[in-house]
Amino acid sequence: MNKFRFGKYRETDVMSDLIGENYPALLVLSRFGIALGFGDKSIGEICRDSGVDTDTFLAIVNLMVVEDRTALSADVRVSIESLVKYLRNSHDYFLSYRLPEIRKKLTEALDENQEDLNKAVLEYFDKFVIEVKTHMLYENKKVFPFVRSLPKDGKKEKYAAGFSKQHEQIEMRLTEFKNILIKYYPAQSTNEINSVLFDIFNCEKELTLHNTVEDYLFIPAL
Amino acid sequence: MSYPVKIVIVEPSVILRSGILSVLHRLNTIQMDVFEIGDIEQLKLSLNWQKPDLLILNPCVLSVFSIQQLKKEAGNNQLKCIALQNSLSDLMSLKAYDEVISIYDSAEQINEKLTGLIAKPEYEKRQESVTLREKEIIVCVIKGLTNKEIAEELHLSLHTVISHRRNISSKLQIHSTAGLTIYAIVNKLVELSDINK
Repeated sequence: MNKFRFGKYRETDVMSDLIGENYPALLVLSRFGIALGFGDKSIGEICRDSGVDTDTFLAIVNLMVVEDRTALSADVRVSIESLVKYLRNSHDYFLSYRLPEIRKKLTEALDENQEDLNKAVLEYFDKFVIEVKTHMLYENKKVFPFVRSLPKDGKKEKYAAGFSKQHEQIEMRLTEFKNILIKYYPAQSTNEINSVLFDIFNCEKELTLHNTVEDYLFIPAL
Repeated sequence: MSYPVKIVIVEPSVILRSGILSVLHRLNTIQMDVFEIGDIEQLKLSLNWQKPDLLILNPCVLSVFSIQQLKKEAGNNQLKCIALQNSLSDLMSLKAYDEVISIYDSAEQINEKLTGLIAKPEYEKRQESVTLREKEIIVCVIKGLTNKEIAEELHLSLHTVISHRRNISSKLQIHSTAGLTIYAIVNKLVELSDINK
């Protein structure tokens, strides 16, 4: 008999269960500054202990869990301040940790005998990083500080459309880069190249989730 | 029939639709891309867009159309239609279908019925490689020439250049100049020194 566990997480659920079932939720914890070592405490208890808005935490976690995004109820209550804090930390994660880490691994994995090619590969990656950086810093500087005074209602849709288009472009770039590495880069199949590809696959998912949080939680909350 | 087989499920009941999906998922003998449609209104769109090879549909939703009409609409005589039978239905009305799957069929029966309808896979057409002309265009693109400049350089019309570029993108699945540069270096179309001139 198969056992299925369905449904969204609630604040009474045990935090360590959540992580066990959905390890990418660890990223959400660190972005909210929630430390590990929480024993058997519930999600709600831990959020309160760490000064994190529980509804916002759950909204993000459930966005990771729910496959059918159209089924998401529009009435999730998020605290815009908490969400902005989360998004800023998320940006910081990509710009200061994730992407530089991938670049570092990439340089180590590339074949020394392909100097010209490596230059082009790194150039591609650097261009991609600049694109991500420009977009994220724009949000940090021009969007987040003014969340309270951003256009309401009518203009919001236009605004949202622009946002999600940029997000799609960023995701497409990384996907293309991954495909180029897989299809065209004449690398020996080494542990190093695998490891960097695994990182890129994961980073792709993380970026998509990050963008989903912005498109589905941030924009509607404005 | 092309591979993977494109199957569209037309069934208003979400329970039956998900059930069929889950059974198809478990039959790992046939390679298929499956789409679900709950609303008959979307069927017309799907016939044009997805160009399915096979329809699995609830006969009740088809009351107004006939199967022949449907196949004509799809512009595909090879389109196979399977009735998803969930209650007693008139035998005559089921005759128009290529096959009938009952909701009480076992996975093996369903598998057999599907396999019977699907011709043996043709060996997949290898993706055509990039032509010489397209290679010339790639080199121009990564040197930073605009479409208009490429057209002049290669004595082509602007329209031709654009259609070549579209073909390149779809053949290589590369859409950016930086990506084409990598491709060109790998395939020795250029040296890096050519580009940075």
